[in-house]
Amino acid sequence: MHDRQFKKEMLQDSAQAYKKGRMDRRTFLALCGASGVAMSAVMAGDAEAAADHVVMWNWGGQSEECHGSAIGDAFTAKTGKGLKFDTSGPLEGKIKEMVDSGNVTADVADADLFNAVSLGPTGHLEPIDYSVVSKEKTLPGYALEYGVSIILYGYAFVYDTEAYGDNPPQNWADFFDTAKFPGMRSLYKWANGSLEAALMADGVAGDALYPLDMDRALAKIKSIKDNSLYWGSGSEAHSMVVNGEVSLGMVWQNRGRNIENDTDGRYKLVNNQAMAMPGAYIVPKGNPAGAAVMDFIATAQEVPAQLALLDCLGMTPSNPEAFGQIPEDQQPYAITSAMNIDKIVYNDPDWWGKNGGDAVNAFLEAIS
Amino acid sequence: MQAFTRHIHPGWLIIAPLMLMVIALYLGPILNILWLSVTDPEPGLSNYAKLAESDALIRIVWTTVRICIITTMFSVTLGYSIAYAMVHCHQRQKNYMLTLLLVSFWISILVRTFSWLMLLGRKGLVNGTLENIGLIAEPIAFMRNELGVLIGMVHYMIPYAVLPLLVSMQSLDTRVMDASRNLGASSTQTFWRIYLPLTLPGLVASTLLVFILSLGFYVTPAVLGGGKVLMVAEYISVQLLVTLKWGTAAMLAAIMLTGVLAMLWIMSRFMKLSTVFGGAAR
Repeated sequence: MHDRQFKKEMLQDSAQAYKKGRMDRRTFLALCGASGVAMSAVMAGDAEAAADHVVMWNWGGQSEECHGSAIGDAFTAKTGKGLKFDTSGPLEGKIKEMVDSGNVTADVADADLFNAVSLGPTGHLEPIDYSVVSKEKTLPGYALEYGVSIILYGYAFVYDTEAYGDNPPQNWADFFDTAKFPGMRSLYKWANGSLEAALMADGVAGDALYPLDMDRALAKIKSIKDNSLYWGSGSEAHSMVVNGEVSLGMVWQNRGRNIENDTDGRYKLVNNQAMAMPGAYIVPKGNPAGAAVMDFIATAQEVPAQLALLDCLGMTPSNPEAFGQIPEDQQPYAITSAMNIDKIVYNDPDWWGKNGGDAVNAFLEAIS
Repeated sequence: MQAFTRHIHPGWLIIAPLMLMVIALYLGPILNILWLSVTDPEPGLSNYAKLAESDALIRIVWTTVRICIITTMFSVTLGYSIAYAMVHCHQRQKNYMLTLLLVSFWISILVRTFSWLMLLGRKGLVNGTLENIGLIAEPIAFMRNELGVLIGMVHYMIPYAVLPLLVSMQSLDTRVMDASRNLGASSTQTFWRIYLPLTLPGLVASTLLVFILSLGFYVTPAVLGGGKVLMVAEYISVQLLVTLKWGTAAMLAAIMLTGVLAMLWIMSRFMKLSTVFGGAAR
């Protein structure tokens, strides 16, 4: 392990030396050869990242363009370093695999805050440097040792105005009430948000959810199983609603506006009791760009970046300074806007980081 | 050297580098998976013990096996009729059929899965039409359940069932059937007692192929099952990527692998496997 770290640092230093002309090509090649690394790999991966850019690991699609314009441009202006993307989706298992293999190619992962709780103590993440990153520029409790929440996304729901026009559903209790609101519903397949919604529907107060009472939540989930479909991705949730497969659909709130537009307002977003999920930036252990990534995270915390992410991706700011500046037309769709902030509940990343794996399995077993 | 070449054919030396590569790149990771299944999270057989303790795991394995068996039955039966029709129709029609078959064979699984949603979904073409002409009041739930998964899987698997059967039927000596009729057997008798047994290797090959491929299905159950049909492949991926229970994932993978190998072994007791895969029957 130390050996590998040493080799890597040596190669990174020599790659920089080579680029600046302090080392000739032949010596550099010989060093690469001696360490058993192809020069192209060093140049493309680790060493180059160390020299002049930060690699962000996100989910592709629109987010590549949005992260670039919202954070990347300001970061480049501030530090002179570029931003590159790996769009393969930083699932927990992939982060663990990347760090364990010793071939870390990403600097910052656009992940969930609970990933910081589960992967941090096992040595898969770099701690956040709070001399660069600010604890004040996120919600209290969402600046953890190994990750900091940059944006919030919410588990909210949309309903069919044609089915329930006169007496629309207003909260999770209505969502789970198949007698009053007949029809199919859709829930998130990997437990998150679904469990909390079930508990709130069963009468648990939004600020007393944790630790989750799994048995109670699963019983509630099972009670509407015959009327439920489950989605695994945002696009699937979107299409279930737009194709009219469900009359009530749990969705990520940032999809709300698109759904309203795509259905010409037939489906309407309800943010009451929406659960705020802290989306966090976490840094894989031994990331190629080193400490430079902290500047990037700090840039993402700034108000302009926060508002740009809202505008581009629909992700709600987590920096309280930005809450007051959410534009009028975004107010209904941003869960921390003045319009919604008093109605939402907050996810506990600590509980999910410690119990998430078992909760997901229990949930899958209940619905299958 | 003499002694060496007497026991080992020099041809092996030529393919040795390739063999070593296959062993390193293929067997290595598999052994790693098997190793993981007895060492993660702690050494021992605790992962395998879960199979006995947890109803859920058994249920997932059972769902998978059940769906695969039904899929195989339908795909092979339909595939047999298609192959039979192709062999016996006019060359031109046969070419058309083969083209259609291959086109559907080449279309991505995602496209084929989502087209089923458009056709048979709640607001799909079929339900829409039936509702418009007043045959049904409520849409029929074809999709987002086990039926949907089966429809999607059978459709995907039919080309895999047809191709081995087609090869097997084309290589038959048709004079044998003529002889059977000549000796007084009826057409039904000829089919059951001559044709079917002669195509048995092809039938076994397509059954094995379809069944084994079905075991690894991931996209179709995830999309068409509406989240309620959980098969082993999807469960393994969740354990690897989301819940980080790599030991459980490795254990399930090992069970699948053993299951497939056991199936091949049982088959080999009854017939020469090489005939199934196109070798000579001796």
